[in-house]
Amino acid sequence: MCDQTFLVNVFGSCDKCFKQRALRPVFKKSQQLSYCSVCAEIMATDGLHENETLATLKSEAESLKGKLEEERAKLHDVELHQVAERVEALGQFVMKTRRTLKGHGNKVLCMDWCKDKRRIVSSSQDGKVIVWDSFTTNKEHAVTMPCTWVMACAYAPSGCAIACGGLDNKCSVYPLTFDKNESMAAKKKSVAMHTNYLSACSFTNSDMQILTASGDGTCALWDVESGQLLQSFHGHGADVLCLDLAPSETGNTFVSGGCDKKSMVWDMRSGQCVQAFETHESDVNSVRYYPSGDAFASGSDDATCRLYDLRADREVAIYSKESIIFGASSVDFSLSGRLLFAGYNDYTINVWDVLKGARVSILFGHENRVSTLRVSPDGTAFCSGSWDHTLRVWA
Amino acid sequence: MSSREAFGCDIGQARRAVEQLRMEAGIDRIKVSKAATDLLQFCTEQAKSDPFLVGIPAATNPFKEKKPCAIL
Repeated sequence: MCDQTFLVNVFGSCDKCFKQRALRPVFKKSQQLSYCSVCAEIMATDGLHENETLATLKSEAESLKGKLEEERAKLHDVELHQVAERVEALGQFVMKTRRTLKGHGNKVLCMDWCKDKRRIVSSSQDGKVIVWDSFTTNKEHAVTMPCTWVMACAYAPSGCAIACGGLDNKCSVYPLTFDKNESMAAKKKSVAMHTNYLSACSFTNSDMQILTASGDGTCALWDVESGQLLQSFHGHGADVLCLDLAPSETGNTFVSGGCDKKSMVWDMRSGQCVQAFETHESDVNSVRYYPSGDAFASGSDDATCRLYDLRADREVAIYSKESIIFGASSVDFSLSGRLLFAGYNDYTINVWDVLKGARVSILFGHENRVSTLRVSPDGTAFCSGSWDHTLRVWA
Repeated sequence: MSSREAFGCDIGQARRAVEQLRMEAGIDRIKVSKAATDLLQFCTEQAKSDPFLVGIPAATNPFKEKKPCAIL
């Protein structure tokens, strides 16, 4: 769905020499400035060692990449599914659609559960964001965004607000009110500003901070109250499509996946990328942490889902079948991490045994691509959203 | 292959790439056998509390239908 973003040629006055030139974005201590190409080169060559040229740096980068692969391969003594042979196989699963949420006028793009395990927020291509009670299928709130393609939405931990955004390049927070006299749109707060579409957003442990991912290739951490940018994360070479925060016990990191086929793990305090994985053959559409926080799974347009262990620093499992040729758009784990639910562009949901690597079940029901999938906070059900305009709750 | 080339090949970017790779190459890693065993252990410990694995009776699962009741 995402088109390639091209570098925009901006003409204007350079922030350093003030001459009227073609400008490029340049980052100095996480602050974005616009330099002309001459000043950008001067800044980059400041403090360069005598023999460092572009060529020597590139060859050093290549040799470091080789060394990284070697180090990772040294510890690859066994496969996960071999270790998992001693675990009991899973029995048959009977999972059915228990609720169908109808009401969106166009493709459902994103959804999130509330911590109360019953409310769901979903957003759609038609610009509407709806809050549902999944037990009764009633709609509790509805907001119309000023843009179409609302690609990201999230529920606040308190359950009192939702965040959403998409082609408007912003992430806005709406407090949820049951007061009939108040319009939700009136209390809207614009928090994040990116230079391209918003692809994903998530509240951190509190209602006060939001993490966003964007088609402009960056992720950012914002303070909700003031709208201030707290930290930005640069490193992806193309649109960032997804992100997931580490489970709270394991600290301040998050993982992001992008159109550059990479999944990157970031330290939220320093803004640094601490680990990067590039084994997918196409865009990474969805990333999700394993419940223990020591691993994460990713789903990609290359029709595979993969599991990466953070302490072993490598991919440890691939979930794929020759018969599956459509991309995986969304993945999530069951509470114990034994099951991986993945929604695909061929309208199905596949359930994988994470440890043994085998498919356990295939679920039919949606009449178009499955675009989003989340397991409920207590693990009793999961919800999938699709381009067929509906959401389904499965248990 | 390098997507870092996609945004222009200037020296500043190459230097940052080299520094990033140096840092990534230097982190502490554990063997896959140990990592896999830990994943397994977590799974088996948590399996008892995973509703999808253990199964909740229809009566307590808010999404499953309760037994039909006859209206007399």
